[in-house]
Amino acid sequence: MSLQTPRVLPSHLHAFSPSATSPRSPPPVRLLGTVTALRGDTATISCGTHGEVTLILKPDSHLQNGKLVEVVGKVAEVPEGGLGIRVLATTDWGNPADCDYKIYEKLVEVTHKLKPMFYDSVE
Amino acid sequence: MDNYGYGNTSYGGSGGGGGGGFMPGETSSPSGGGRNEDRNTTMRPITIKQALDATQPYPEASYQIDSQDVSSVVFVGQVRNISTQATNITYKLDDGTGEIEAKQWVTPDDSMDTTDESVAAGGKDRNGVEINGYAKVFGKLKTMFGDRKIITTHCVRPLTDINEVHFHFIEAAAVHLFFTRGPAPAAGGGGGSSGAKDEAMAGIDGGYGGPTGSGGSGGGNLPAMTPLAKRVYNLLRTEPQTNEGMQAQQIAAKLSVSIGDVARAGDELLNAAVIFSTVDEQTWAILDY
Repeated sequence: MSLQTPRVLPSHLHAFSPSATSPRSPPPVRLLGTVTALRGDTATISCGTHGEVTLILKPDSHLQNGKLVEVVGKVAEVPEGGLGIRVLATTDWGNPADCDYKIYEKLVEVTHKLKPMFYDSVE
Repeated sequence: MDNYGYGNTSYGGSGGGGGGGFMPGETSSPSGGGRNEDRNTTMRPITIKQALDATQPYPEASYQIDSQDVSSVVFVGQVRNISTQATNITYKLDDGTGEIEAKQWVTPDDSMDTTDESVAAGGKDRNGVEINGYAKVFGKLKTMFGDRKIITTHCVRPLTDINEVHFHFIEAAAVHLFFTRGPAPAAGGGGGSSGAKDEAMAGIDGGYGGPTGSGGSGGGNLPAMTPLAKRVYNLLRTEPQTNEGMQAQQIAAKLSVSIGDVARAGDELLNAAVIFSTVDEQTWAILDY
């Protein structure tokens, strides 16, 4: 099948981590959050009421503090420990106040309940 | 309104139940696929994966998603590539569930002031769409070069509000659920009054016992069923009748659908054990206790 990037919340990252038992590498994920910290080659985004996620940036990633970003990337272990995202691409969505994060939460819930509509199962 | 008016649209599937050798809804030879398409002008919100997974019952037929004919679709996606040619613009779109190409044909007299170079340089094309930006595409699902699916589009417009992206997927999910599990139960007890405007819709809006106003006590635990089965069930519930129930012929006349469709809906309800046949196989009553 074609390349898919399931939309997730921070609590779903473990399901797409490379350490999962499946031999095939898990697909990249999509995550939405507000940039709260930039530290050179890593950054932190805050995902509504779901906590923060560390991003491992690419040299050409352009993130701005305080902006809402949609991140596409692979789940990876981060230096701080735990799971983060190795960024493949980011999309700037501007002011976080313009986005109702609750709709995104519902969307993630729906996509995971209605797999046949959205994603092939991760196997 | 929960069901976007999909309920009373005559989809191909409900047209020719008794049509013998013909495919459902096809009134002429299979080559008349174009007619089918013209009749069904409903614009259906979908995901790209649904477009890629769409099936044809036979070659040249309309594509089907969730066993419903679709021709006009609307979807959102992130623009991965824009290729401007003399006769068309081709967009490659990715919405996270798959990737598909959308082709917009342009007439020669349209001013072609945007070239590939300016798009590549990060500019916007004539629709205001830019690479890696989101776009909403309205078009028809077509096949090109064998089994490759593409969308021929009349309208591509840039999306700037992320809520619209999220809303689109949820709307697509709602429509998917409508077709696979039937309409959502009417919100609150007001189903009767609002539904009275439209007889056909009332049967659907009534959902779980709306017209009686008694809430979902009787139908609240109905199993998932097709919209038509639900209409038949609601008719059986509300129509005055003897304890022999109603004949399939009567039901077909009341709902103005074909006897074949009613028979199929009846089978579904019989299998779900919510109705039972009384004096003969074609006379049904609500299984109530």
